[in-house]
Amino acid sequence: MATSIAISTPRSENLLKRTVRLIPGLFLLIAVGYAGKFVEQSIARYGKAHHLTLPNIEYVLWAILIGLLISNTVGVPKLFRPGLATYEFWLKAGIVLLGSRFVLGDVLKLGGVSLALVVIEISVSLIFMTALGRAMGLKPKLTSLLAVGSSICGVSAIIAAEGAIGADEEDTSFAIAAILALGAIALFVFPLIGHWLGMSDTSYGLWAGLGVDNTAEATAAGALYSDAAGKVAVLAKTARNAMIGFVVLGYAIYWARKEHNPSVKNKAAFLWTKFPKFVLGFILISALATAKFFTAPQLGNLANLSRWAFLLTFAGVGLRTNIAEMRKQGLRPFLVGAIGEVAIAGLTLGLVLLAARFIR
Amino acid sequence: MTETNEGSSQPRKASLRISLDGWAVALAIAVSLLVWLGWIKHVPW
Repeated sequence: MATSIAISTPRSENLLKRTVRLIPGLFLLIAVGYAGKFVEQSIARYGKAHHLTLPNIEYVLWAILIGLLISNTVGVPKLFRPGLATYEFWLKAGIVLLGSRFVLGDVLKLGGVSLALVVIEISVSLIFMTALGRAMGLKPKLTSLLAVGSSICGVSAIIAAEGAIGADEEDTSFAIAAILALGAIALFVFPLIGHWLGMSDTSYGLWAGLGVDNTAEATAAGALYSDAAGKVAVLAKTARNAMIGFVVLGYAIYWARKEHNPSVKNKAAFLWTKFPKFVLGFILISALATAKFFTAPQLGNLANLSRWAFLLTFAGVGLRTNIAEMRKQGLRPFLVGAIGEVAIAGLTLGLVLLAARFIR
Repeated sequence: MTETNEGSSQPRKASLRISLDGWAVALAIAVSLLVWLGWIKHVPW
């Protein structure tokens, strides 16, 4: 799975060639995303024309399902993979543009609550996952990767930690596969639980942002519930992502000491390298929207551009999820991840329900 | 998220390469500017 995530191309290859290689996959993302939107609209039109009350299944779910169907039946040919990997790029561009739908006051209020919950969630998750990994006899570095991945930010945190702690590729591949498999399950389970508990959009969005590991899945899990929940999920996940540098730095120092290697010399530079820059872009666009830099129609245009970017992301989530590949990775890391995820989902649900009285 | 895959505890040679994150932010800001300037007038959904 890891190979489908990283965009790795030799430096010597010229820009034009690299750009051309992205085109087939980009078209596939657009086609699958648009097919999802088309199916949603077609069902709505059919229901209206025949005076039927059909369930409103959002384009998000259709795009993911169509992607899953392609990936797990005919498969995604190699030709499409470089362009497919750009779904992470569209996710980040979409998050920055989503800043236009937040007044800075909301960002500070919700983001503040999110950050407080994030600190609790990360601390408990790291301790729990480390203990669980040890109890299940996983290799220490694989345990560290799973702990980082499930407490902060899924795949990005694992990739960041891989270099920082000197983990081997096999461990990284295990941890990424486990986190992605669990993210795919959470995508469908979270909305069901949210509806079952009758959670408000804000509470559910916070829970999805805190409980689902990978940013793309957290965004999709939020959007599957409602548009408003999707917004809050992105904000909560962004607050969680902002912590990535601190946790990875902590692990880098821990493993350097343990293995008697030279530790991180310039901690500020290390933190800056690991800090997700799209968080700053999101705050900038939100600040501009708050300062009335954009008119109301312009804000509507930015919100729609963000939706288009997310459409490509959701298509990518489905297309890169290959169940057969995940099954090859073995049961134990998945089991540790699964037990951890259920515990973290329970913890974050409790935290969110407790915090709900402060964020109304 | 692949923006952070340059991570290593060992310092690397200084480089001007922009991360995936950086490009995504640059694109979003550029598009916002085009919307603000009125070059992009209507984005349907």
